[in-house]
Amino acid sequence: MTGVTVRLEGLVKHFGRVQALKGIDLTLTPGELVAFLGPSGCGKTTTLLLIAGIYKATAGQIFFDDRRIDHLHPRDRDIGMVFQSYALYPHLTMFENIAFPLRLQRVPKAEVKRKVEQTAELLGISEQLLRRPALVSGGQQQRAALARALVKEPRVLLLDEPLSNLDALIRLSARAEIRRLQKELGITSILVTHDQSEALAMADRVAVFSVGEVEQFATPEELYKAPATTFVAGFVGFPPMNLFEGRFNGAFEAKGLKIPLSPGHPGGKGYLGIRPEDIRFDGEIAARVLLVEVLGKDSLLTLEAAGHILKAMSLEGMQVAIGDELLLNFPVEKLHLFDAEGKRIQRQAS
Amino acid sequence: MRRYAAPLLFLLPATILIVLFFLIPVVTTVFLSLTDISTVTFKNPSWVGLQNYRDLLVDPFIPKIFYNTGRYVGLTLLFNVGMGLVLALLTSLIPERHGDNFRTLWLVPRIMPPVVYVFVWQGLLARAPFGIISDLTGINQGWINSSPWTTIILANGFVGASFGMLIFTSAIRAIPRDLFYAAAVDGASTWQTVRRVVLPLLRWPILFVTVYQTLSLLTSFEYILLLTDGGPGLFKTTVWSLHAYKLALSNYFGNIEFGLGAAMATFLVVIGVIVSLVYMRVFNFRELVSEPKIEVN
Amino acid sequence: MPLLPQRWRLLLVLLLVIGLPIATGLIWLLLTALFDRVHGLIPQGDFGSENWRFLWQGSVSGRPSIWVALLNSVMFAGAVAVIEVLVSAMAAYAISRMRFPLRSMYLRFALMLHAFPAISLIIAIFYILRILGLFDTLIGVILVKASLELPLGIWLMKGFFDHLSWEMEMAALVDGASRWTLFWRIALPLVRPGILALGTFALLSAWGEFILPFTLIVSGKSWTLALYLQSFMGESFIDFGLMAGVGLFYVLPVVLFFLLGQRYLLNIYSGGAKG
Repeated sequence: MTGVTVRLEGLVKHFGRVQALKGIDLTLTPGELVAFLGPSGCGKTTTLLLIAGIYKATAGQIFFDDRRIDHLHPRDRDIGMVFQSYALYPHLTMFENIAFPLRLQRVPKAEVKRKVEQTAELLGISEQLLRRPALVSGGQQQRAALARALVKEPRVLLLDEPLSNLDALIRLSARAEIRRLQKELGITSILVTHDQSEALAMADRVAVFSVGEVEQFATPEELYKAPATTFVAGFVGFPPMNLFEGRFNGAFEAKGLKIPLSPGHPGGKGYLGIRPEDIRFDGEIAARVLLVEVLGKDSLLTLEAAGHILKAMSLEGMQVAIGDELLLNFPVEKLHLFDAEGKRIQRQAS
Repeated sequence: MRRYAAPLLFLLPATILIVLFFLIPVVTTVFLSLTDISTVTFKNPSWVGLQNYRDLLVDPFIPKIFYNTGRYVGLTLLFNVGMGLVLALLTSLIPERHGDNFRTLWLVPRIMPPVVYVFVWQGLLARAPFGIISDLTGINQGWINSSPWTTIILANGFVGASFGMLIFTSAIRAIPRDLFYAAAVDGASTWQTVRRVVLPLLRWPILFVTVYQTLSLLTSFEYILLLTDGGPGLFKTTVWSLHAYKLALSNYFGNIEFGLGAAMATFLVVIGVIVSLVYMRVFNFRELVSEPKIEVN
Repeated sequence: MPLLPQRWRLLLVLLLVIGLPIATGLIWLLLTALFDRVHGLIPQGDFGSENWRFLWQGSVSGRPSIWVALLNSVMFAGAVAVIEVLVSAMAAYAISRMRFPLRSMYLRFALMLHAFPAISLIIAIFYILRILGLFDTLIGVILVKASLELPLGIWLMKGFFDHLSWEMEMAALVDGASRWTLFWRIALPLVRPGILALGTFALLSAWGEFILPFTLIVSGKSWTLALYLQSFMGESFIDFGLMAGVGLFYVLPVVLFFLLGQRYLLNIYSGGAKG
């Protein structure tokens, strides 16, 4: 199994009058796992179903390597897919569920048996093969769904929220396992999720979707370090980045706040962002503590400064109580600047 | 076109059968009613325009048949809806298990083959020693012949009541439990609860059952055909649909007047089409059609 | 209703009384068939086989053998049920799950036919069968009976298909199925309750059907049990014992179907079967 290049060009999708996708351009390199991350209704599942061939695109093209496949029936696309509900066939045993794609290809019986057992072994569900899906645990159903997707050795693996119905503990181990399998098999894969920790933990690259558009397509590290838009800045990272609306005027001014910047920025309206964990407490921005949430080693502080509400992480050993006054410092090198449209302004110097 | 090859294939058998046995017959009924087709002219009918309808207008027996039809539909309907309501209420007011048993009992007449069902009526209403009514009343007579209308209405009614019974029962089950508890807390007796809570909520089901059964009673003649065959005597219990049927298809008269029967049937077909159209309008159609989530066929 | 009235036993008695005629009828049929002579509900003669002579007598007064009629009834009911279920299910699947132009029109049309009293078309159907050369054939009546119940069947099956999971259908397509394969291997097995309900309904309805074979079949060799029993009715001397025997023989399979399919059936009878 070797992965293919998946290329989406100008994908547009309308549902009646609703424009669900406004034009998606993405290229996935062979063997890569890409996460589609975004809030619900952003078009990430729609994109996935277009790649699967369940929906027909209003405009645009899809290529696997250099072959255009968007006119093909799903069965001719050579993909495997795992659904949020797992979508196992309730009237078939786990074995028959996994065997279903092979049976449709009229693979010889002995071969089917061998492949199903091998795949089941790989996923650790060999013991459950003779049961119906309703009689095994959620985790085992999820593995069966994955086994069914993998058994036909697809060129592209599509995962639509595959972990969201699992409970928290299993979810963590399932993440690692899917990642390991995917790497081992080298299949180009797409993971649709609304859970940023899942996307950041599993994916080589993440495409962040807002309403029908890709806001940024980058590695998890880049998303965190250099969010391309205010949308990404606010969506990726927990707790989310603090964003202030104001004007650039040598420094950044937002009603009652004046934050110094390094020189060389254009003027005009825009946004300034800083992550809670980047705020320090040795500056001159006066703030009052509204709420202290203990997260373990650190605490998450909700602060009020000149009428703005913001979040900051406490430092180790720091004693804070509600009502305390703090003096904040926004280090220049940690600031994220965005223009009036919310697009990142490249830092001139840092 | 290839895109729709699959749905076309799936719909083809149903479409052929529906065209063949619904659409074409509707047109054919009207068409035949405008010809003089009969046993004699079966191969070679000629166009007579509205002659059959004019014949019907002047037929001395038509008023009698018209009256019979009204009587049959009206009284049977009353029995069906009334008994359906009574049964639904009573079986809902006793423990579930008993209620289910009684509802099953009332389904028996509907599920029995009509010929067997009618035969049982014939037996019960026959002269002694078989007839039970003759035994019970001490009047040894053929009761079907002496009270044909009562027989017809009861025989139809015992079949028809279960329809209303089932519809009303599910409507009663759909009433939120809280309403009953609230009524009980407010001090309502069972009868008051039924009158003030249940019956008002059954208004639409009652209307539905009434319309539906009116239509099927107007057009059905199976039990009359088997019980009295429209007699005893001249057209004593002949209703519109039975008369149409006999004019066109019964083998007892020498010459079968196909065209005339079709003219009578046309009235029923037209009523059927009108009521169906109304039914379709009233029905909450929106929620039934949601777009399929798969775009490939 | 959630609250039992205090004197519900009184209501039970009332129900017993109004249900009495049905019970009496059934008992009458049973006794009259099983005993050589009865007076009302009181057996007079022996527990005898005289009433069952139609089973071995080959032919009763020139009628075809009961076994011919039985075979015809079985073929008739079986074929009607199979055709009705398959054709309804296919159409319902397309209407419920596929995209095509005029889909909503088709749906409306089927709903409209559902309310339409099909029996009013019998004169024209007679004529059409004559033209098609299917008059006086079992296959002709089978097609007519199955067709007249299609609107009901399509509606019922559509309701069942509507509840299938979309993700499961998507999974099957991705797994390599065509819609045709998907229908047979995934969708149809999953609407089994619907198939059983419609199948039982169709079997019962066709088994009892009288008017259609009565009108569209003439020859004795195509008689169904309904026609066989009805042929005794016009006689000047009515042999109640014999007829009760035939009637009981004819009604026994109904009891069987009913007991097997009862829990599926209730939906259909309240869902708008012709009443």
